[in-house]
Amino acid sequence: MRLDGDNKILDPGYMIGGTEVEAQKQCLPFLAQYKREGDTFGWEPTYYVTKLEQRDPTHIDFELTEGLIWSNGYGPLMASDVKYSYERMKGTDWGGYFEALDHVEVTGDRTGTIVLNKPFAPFFMVTLCHGPGAILCEKATKDAGGKFTTKFPAICGPYTYDQIPGQRTTFALNPEWTGPKPGFDTVTLQVITEVKAAELAYEAGELDCTELGADTMARYAAAMPPNSSLTTAGELQYMWMGMNTEHPKLQNKLVRQAIQHAVDVDSILAGAYSGTTTKSNGIVCPGLIGHRDATKSYSYDPAKARELMDASGETGLTLTLRTLNNQERMLTSQIIQANLAVIGITVEILPLDSGPFWEMGSESAGDTWQDLQLWTMRFAGTPDPYEAAQWFVSSQVGVWNWERWTDPEYDRLYEAGLAESDPEKRNDIYLKMQDIMEETGAYVWINHEPEAYVHGTDIQISAAPSGELDYRRFARI
Amino acid sequence: MIAYLTKRLGLSVAVVFLVVLILFSLLQLIPGDPATVALGPRATPEAIARYAEKMHLDAPVWQQFLIYAGNAATGDLGIDVFTERSVTTIILERIGFTLALIFVAMGWAMLLGIPLGCLAAVKPNTWVDRITGILSVGTIAVPSFLVSIWAILIFAVNLRWLPAIGAGEPGDTADQLTHLILPAFAVGLSWVGYLARMVRASMLEVMGETYIRSARAFGLTQRRIVFGYALRVAILPTITLIGMGFGGLISAAVFAEIIFARPGLGKLIFDSVMARNFPVVQGGVLVATTLYLGVVLFSDLLIAWIDPRVRDSL
Repeated sequence: MRLDGDNKILDPGYMIGGTEVEAQKQCLPFLAQYKREGDTFGWEPTYYVTKLEQRDPTHIDFELTEGLIWSNGYGPLMASDVKYSYERMKGTDWGGYFEALDHVEVTGDRTGTIVLNKPFAPFFMVTLCHGPGAILCEKATKDAGGKFTTKFPAICGPYTYDQIPGQRTTFALNPEWTGPKPGFDTVTLQVITEVKAAELAYEAGELDCTELGADTMARYAAAMPPNSSLTTAGELQYMWMGMNTEHPKLQNKLVRQAIQHAVDVDSILAGAYSGTTTKSNGIVCPGLIGHRDATKSYSYDPAKARELMDASGETGLTLTLRTLNNQERMLTSQIIQANLAVIGITVEILPLDSGPFWEMGSESAGDTWQDLQLWTMRFAGTPDPYEAAQWFVSSQVGVWNWERWTDPEYDRLYEAGLAESDPEKRNDIYLKMQDIMEETGAYVWINHEPEAYVHGTDIQISAAPSGELDYRRFARI
Repeated sequence: MIAYLTKRLGLSVAVVFLVVLILFSLLQLIPGDPATVALGPRATPEAIARYAEKMHLDAPVWQQFLIYAGNAATGDLGIDVFTERSVTTIILERIGFTLALIFVAMGWAMLLGIPLGCLAAVKPNTWVDRITGILSVGTIAVPSFLVSIWAILIFAVNLRWLPAIGAGEPGDTADQLTHLILPAFAVGLSWVGYLARMVRASMLEVMGETYIRSARAFGLTQRRIVFGYALRVAILPTITLIGMGFGGLISAAVFAEIIFARPGLGKLIFDSVMARNFPVVQGGVLVATTLYLGVVLFSDLLIAWIDPRVRDSL
């Protein structure tokens, strides 16, 4: 398998994310896990619990499976470990996932109740199923000084964890594991930074499974390598072109609306992504509550775009489009550049490495946010619309809301969406929130890029909707 | 020779000091608080405070520099901001792979390039010379990353003779050597051309010298003249080129380490730049520079040992 870089911080409270979550899923207990139901996603209890039930909107009762023990002599998995792990998370970098947690009540060695301070509909999907929902061994973590980086203080899962920095990570069968035996005795992950190198390694027979880039997906769709299958995880990535509503060149809403109408998203999907991605109409991804089937206030219409530009009174506009310097984003930017030239806007493309790119709109990282005009952006998340919606509330201006608009109605709907548990009502709430976003004129929705994996036909892989692989749920066919 | 060695060592130490100063200054020149810059925008106030204390950021800048330089002199290159591991340890884990790649790449290039250059020089303007010239220019002209990809496609994907990625099983020397073949081939190929051209040019010049004519007049064999006398003199500029070339190979190793997914110093620096892990970037660049200076110093000393006239030139 491919690993795109060394796991740096395995501690769920301080992790960077991504492959660290994959490691946690093999070695640490979780109360819930994702379940795919056709085109939608749900959750189910894991092997670690015999009971996981929501008693009322703020109480979740659980009972841990008997006989599961921590490594290194730290004894059985206890309800007190759940209490320690979850309450500890509130003060960590990933504390936002536990904002709704009040406390965990321990009612027995293996039983307890998670008590929320307010109804929080996404708690199962966003918190319990994802990396932050990992349970740590209280004693082992305290013995390690309260946090850890590249070694788990104790594990309780089907696999042990071993990392040779820069080379590989190996998951081998945990001899102390009493739960179901996974499909493979050993899973070895090679550190391969570039996805193209991993694709070549797969074709050379050195990997059994790897992630694919969009162009290779298209190539494989036409002709798969022998004895290979393609598995697509969720399309939980949403990409758009953003506009800074506070920038003097973009303060005129008519200009922003003209840009919305001028960008030919279908050409981007065909030209930059080889037709392998789904057209986006908002921030909520396919298969989730609140997914939009179409845009409401704009569509590709160059004539309308020219009318809007004329009405705006702006002429000879030159804008800078910042983008990550990878192949797909550069092609996307070049198509946008050509589209906007049609309505008289000159676009200068500024490719950036990931370091400066990911902090260019952050007020805490310098003054670049003041110069931001246009940019292509892609976020990813967990399978609940709350995750995507949270980045655009008023308090996120200058943090992740780089478009820098605020709307009290959006903020109110965000809180309502968290508290509401009726799926239909939640659906309406998130649709309305995306209408508000679109009406700002600050967004051109582009696509939902799938996480796609190629693997041997004799292997069944398991991927979370957000793309993280769960090796313990892999199986031989 | 000792005076020459002392002078060259002094010069190298001065360059290392300058590099330390530049590396330290770069972090100071980046806008914003150095702790925030080093740890990134996600860092918590507590982490920033811990880092500031650990790196003595509350002290005057000149004191910070002295502490940094003093620590570097004792092999303490700081702490990785993510894993909190020692940067020195992280670099030591990787540097062997880069050194192996560079030495094997340059080694095979020398073994092939130097004889090719000699062959072309002793048979000037013949078909041998012309073919050698075409091959040399060809290997120089083809970008190494292209060679890497073609090598993987041919030898790993199609023929499946050699592995495409990784550095091999730890402790299994044969496996590690097998994994070294394609990267070393890709990195070293252009050097075959460089060395062949350089040796040919030097040899042609030397072969026209009067002492070579005298050697011929004394009836020495062509083999003895070429390898016993001419090459000994003609090799001097080539040694300088090889010394300088190691610097280029450290850079070339970056792409090879990325394409062939090998661990190494270049990839470590690249990944750390991408992650804005500045202590590792600083440590990696310092070690790479020191390594380069070491090789250049060695090549200078070798030349001085072969040609005593050089010792007086510094």
